[in-house]
Amino acid sequence: MTPQEEQEKLLEEALGVVKVQSFQMKRCLDKGKLMDGLKHASNMLGELRTSMLSPKSYYELYMMISDELRHLELYLVDEFQKGRKVSDLYELVQYAGNIVPRLYLVVTVGVVYIKANELSRKDILKDLVEMCRGVQHPLRGLFLRNYLLQCTKNVLPDVVTEAASETDTGTVKDSIDFIQLNFSEMNKLWVRMQHQGHTREREKREQERRELRILVGTNLVRLSQLENMDVDTYKKNVLPCILEQVVSCKDAIAQEYLMECIIQVFPDEFHLQTLSSFLRACADLHPDVNVKNIIIALIDRLAQFAMKEEGSGIPNEIQLFDIFSQQIAQVIQNRPDMPPEDIVALQVALINLALKCYPDKHDYVDKVLETTEEIFNRLNLDHGPTPRTKNILESTSAVSRELMRLMKIPVDNYNNLLTILKLEHFGPLFEYFDYQARKMMSMYLISNALENMTTIPSQEEVDGILALVSPLVLDQSDQPEDEEDPEDFAEEQGLMGRFIHLLIADDPDQQYLVLNTARKHFGNGGNKRIRHTLPPIIFCAYRLAYRYKSLQDVDDKWEKKCQKIFQFCHQTITALTKAELVELPLRLFLQGAVAAGNIDFENHETVAYEFMSQGFSLYEDEISDSRAQLAAITLIIATIERMSCFGEENHEPLRTQCALAASKLLKKPDQCRGVGVCSHLFWSGKTQENNGEEMKDGKRVMECLKKGLRIANQCMDACVQVQLFVEVLNHYVYFYEKGNTQVTVQILNQLITKIRDDLPNLESNEETDQINKHFSNTIEHLRLQMESTEKDAPSYEGLEL
Amino acid sequence: MALSFFGFGQSAEVDIVLDGQDSRKTAEIKAEDGKKERHYLYYDGETVSGKVSITLKKPGTKLEHQGIKIEFIGQIELYYDRGNHHEFTSLVKELARPGELSQNSSYDFEFVQVEKPYESYTGANVRLRYLLRVTIVKRLSDLVKEKDIIVHTLSQYPDMNNSIKMEVGIEDCLHIEFEYNKSKYHLKDVIVGKIYFLLVRIKIKHMEIQIIKRETTGSGPNTFNENETIAKYEIMDGAPVRGESIPIRLFLSGYELTPSMKDINKKFSVRYFLNLVLVDEEERRYFKQQEITVFRRSDKHRKPIQNANMLKKHSPQQTPQAFLDASNAHHVNPYREADEQ
Amino acid sequence: MKILVLVLGDLHIPHRSISMPGKFKKLLVPGKIQHILCTGNLCTKESFDYLKTLASDVHVVRGDFDENMNYPEQKVVTVGQFRIGLCHGHHVVPWGDIESLAVVQRQLDVDILISGHTHKFEAFEHENKFYINPGSATGAYNAIEQNVTPSFVLLDIQQSTVVAYVYQLLGEDVKVERIEYKKS
Repeated sequence: MTPQEEQEKLLEEALGVVKVQSFQMKRCLDKGKLMDGLKHASNMLGELRTSMLSPKSYYELYMMISDELRHLELYLVDEFQKGRKVSDLYELVQYAGNIVPRLYLVVTVGVVYIKANELSRKDILKDLVEMCRGVQHPLRGLFLRNYLLQCTKNVLPDVVTEAASETDTGTVKDSIDFIQLNFSEMNKLWVRMQHQGHTREREKREQERRELRILVGTNLVRLSQLENMDVDTYKKNVLPCILEQVVSCKDAIAQEYLMECIIQVFPDEFHLQTLSSFLRACADLHPDVNVKNIIIALIDRLAQFAMKEEGSGIPNEIQLFDIFSQQIAQVIQNRPDMPPEDIVALQVALINLALKCYPDKHDYVDKVLETTEEIFNRLNLDHGPTPRTKNILESTSAVSRELMRLMKIPVDNYNNLLTILKLEHFGPLFEYFDYQARKMMSMYLISNALENMTTIPSQEEVDGILALVSPLVLDQSDQPEDEEDPEDFAEEQGLMGRFIHLLIADDPDQQYLVLNTARKHFGNGGNKRIRHTLPPIIFCAYRLAYRYKSLQDVDDKWEKKCQKIFQFCHQTITALTKAELVELPLRLFLQGAVAAGNIDFENHETVAYEFMSQGFSLYEDEISDSRAQLAAITLIIATIERMSCFGEENHEPLRTQCALAASKLLKKPDQCRGVGVCSHLFWSGKTQENNGEEMKDGKRVMECLKKGLRIANQCMDACVQVQLFVEVLNHYVYFYEKGNTQVTVQILNQLITKIRDDLPNLESNEETDQINKHFSNTIEHLRLQMESTEKDAPSYEGLEL
Repeated sequence: MALSFFGFGQSAEVDIVLDGQDSRKTAEIKAEDGKKERHYLYYDGETVSGKVSITLKKPGTKLEHQGIKIEFIGQIELYYDRGNHHEFTSLVKELARPGELSQNSSYDFEFVQVEKPYESYTGANVRLRYLLRVTIVKRLSDLVKEKDIIVHTLSQYPDMNNSIKMEVGIEDCLHIEFEYNKSKYHLKDVIVGKIYFLLVRIKIKHMEIQIIKRETTGSGPNTFNENETIAKYEIMDGAPVRGESIPIRLFLSGYELTPSMKDINKKFSVRYFLNLVLVDEEERRYFKQQEITVFRRSDKHRKPIQNANMLKKHSPQQTPQAFLDASNAHHVNPYREADEQ
Repeated sequence: MKILVLVLGDLHIPHRSISMPGKFKKLLVPGKIQHILCTGNLCTKESFDYLKTLASDVHVVRGDFDENMNYPEQKVVTVGQFRIGLCHGHHVVPWGDIESLAVVQRQLDVDILISGHTHKFEAFEHENKFYINPGSATGAYNAIEQNVTPSFVLLDIQQSTVVAYVYQLLGEDVKVERIEYKKS
């Protein structure tokens, strides 16, 4: 049989006896045979004398028996109410030879006596709790005393003073004495369990003890239920006794449980008045006790209390923070072996308290951080390799995690990075983290700012924050050698890029300084970082330039300032080119050119031209991939097409360069498409000479398109050739409809015929299908135009579809 | 029939009726056969009076006799010496001179303020009884009728009734101090006490208190002791630790006790002992006996609950004193390993 | 059957904007949308991942600030009875020009052409085809267009009908407009 099966069997047997005896007991009681009933009750209770049952099984047995004893109690109460004098019953049951059954009966009868007001309630209670001393066996004693506690639950006196007529009914003080004695006896028994049996069964024993703890705790619950126990009594009488008992028992399990029990069962108002003594006791607990959890539980409770809306809050005269602060320091001092993570956890609780109870007092939070810093300083002195080098906490260590938790609390509470910046001792704590942890904390700060849209309005603050989150800004001396995951890195830097948009000053001049400061910090980030962080700065600067434009009526230096901004941008983009970037700076230059072109400050044309030519240089010098070349030149052409700031003097070389570049593309199809796009420059391109009107140089357009056609003709791939023909046809159609008289119906007819001739020769495949579709869509468009009755529809007379 | 022929036949019925019988208290006592008998109860110095009635069986016949007498006898019977009754009291009253009874007759008698020095008692080896005996003296065999009465001896509440308090132990093993609130208890009394553990190095399983009655008969080399455990009362379950104080409260009225008797007519004694027994997990027993005096007193109202709190607060003595039976290296101590039971 | 298609683009996070407006994020709950058509300029993988949380079918074309070379220049997606063309539009010269877009439409042979780049919402019918520009979902800076209004478009496609709901953030309010297009 396994031990468990054995337990089950033993329990079953015991329950069997209980069933038989309780049945007999009830039968005798029904017949009014009290003596016989008591005899069976005693037999039944004899089962509780066993030493064979585990606490769990014993509990089951106990529950069943105490249920049955209820019948006896009800019977006796009933008899008393009927007026029958069961005289000397209290004495009678004491003849039972065995102590365990005897005391259960004595308790049962004693409570009946109390209910019948037969004897002095106070004396009976006192007698019961004293007599229970006879059971020194821990398990049996605990359950017996629990029975006592259950039975007396509703008869404990709870008045301040006795009515004159009832001298012996007792007062709340008697109840307190009663419970306290029972509590201390139960606690002794409970603690004693630990020292019984074999040492190798220690764990099992501890487990069993934990299962039984509620029995002991019920005493405290009962105390807390006494309505007339006032805070003064609690402070002077009750708590000191409990604490004395808890401290002196020197048992970690008991201490840990009971201290938490005290916190849970007694009201907040009581705790507030007894903080010092409670916390002092914490300092005296067994080294194995997790004092941290106890103090944290108390703090959390009071912090919650402070936040209750209906409550009166923390009374002003109670310096909650100071008391906890001092007492926690004492606890830490008393426990040299306390793990640092636990020490920090206490500070976590303290900071929570400060934030919840005193949300406006930032100095409390700072005080906790300072204390934490001191603790780490001290730890370094004690354990560090040399006094001067700091003991860096590994990010995976418990203490590092705990410290991080501590530091996140004010972040989460204030939700304002600027407030965090004001905490003097926040930053210095960063130095105890290793690289990973610093980075994690930094990201936490930045994410918090982003979530709360915390704008950073001054240079000093930008300096402060970027210094704080430096692991995200520049390389660190303790950074690991190996490459970081590129996706993680991009994400982290993306965060910083977004953060830049929070650098917003009310005043544009201030804004410029702020951007400049940021630029300096981020400029040190190295090639891999600046591609993420500098573009946002550049766009913010472009936006700032527009802002000055809108202020031109109030700021007479706006033009100079714009010029400065573009210089700043130019420099910044150049920094990117030095990081061997091409595509990005090219686009940024183009963006700058458009912006400068639109903002008509003095010299803006020169600036725009400079930006454009820088872009062009990058195109010419750095882009070699043909696909990228086509994409870039297309973008350049499109950008120039859009601009209207240039005089002919500047526009002419630009558009010529574009046409040249397009025709110099490596692949014929690219050339063809390039010149096709370029044709727009000569039509809708705008110069100052034209007063911003489209130049509509039909001849040059035509030249471009003809060139395109010529290049298409040179294509070897028939399929690509036809496709290019269709594309050129569309260009012709486009300009024909725009009113370019150089494009004639005849030309269109020629090209259409050409395409019609070539198309059937193409291999039938998907590409050919697409070309067919493209072509038929074009024809369909032309048909629509021809059939159009609208007035300004172009005339396609003579077009052969 | 044969008896009748020899004149043994109950030709008359003798009946003893005591004065005030209806209002007199009665008491129970065990007879020799162990069965309980109920008789009228008298105290020392009380007059024993009444009426003897003689009823003739067959009306018209005559009963010839050599005289009629009544005796008041107090006697001690030792079971090992049957037939030899020691009468410590014997008073005789003549009721009729020799003659002839021709009709039913009755005679008053009276033993004035008769001395009854001892309590009626039935023990294991001895019996002390009081009886009235009516004898119709006849030529061949006397017609005898006996009637038992019970005598209770009442004691004054003793002037001196100290508590029994003692510290005992086995060196480096177990030291306890026990205290019983009195040394003399009346029959309906409560023994209140406590056991205070000064040192516990053995694993105690439980502790009980026993009431032992020791009946001593005979004298000199023929002294014979009979021990009887009247009560076994568990007062502690489990192992206490140092500093525990275990209460004792034992109601005596539920047990069949007699007053202590000392050297009754040089024939026997009855003494009572409280035996404190501790049993350890290896079933070893440690005990300490203390004699108590039991006495009878007139009924009074019971006191309220008595418990150990009413004892004086414990004040441990500096050194465990009075290892009563001296401490030998081995457990030949006040707590001897049990050799009895 | 009703199909919801989210059309958006030009987020430019982190270059030009900090994030999608919170009000938009609240509107866009996962599990309601079947397809996402993005006109590009997501700029980061994070933004793409965000779209992935809204719907599993995400189509993106390459914007001028997208570094991801895997995004195509243009793309055709068939949803229900509609062929939908998707391109960013920075290659369509002149930017935003209707006739130039029409050229692309003809080339791709689509019923609906979606393009971006201008950061300006537009939806119109031209020669029986439907053109949509969802604008910039973040209201990102644009060198040409000042005061960009954040916007996106939700297409409700049922048989041969498309209803385009345009969401625009005006100040603190989201304004919704409805435009219907029926395929002939």
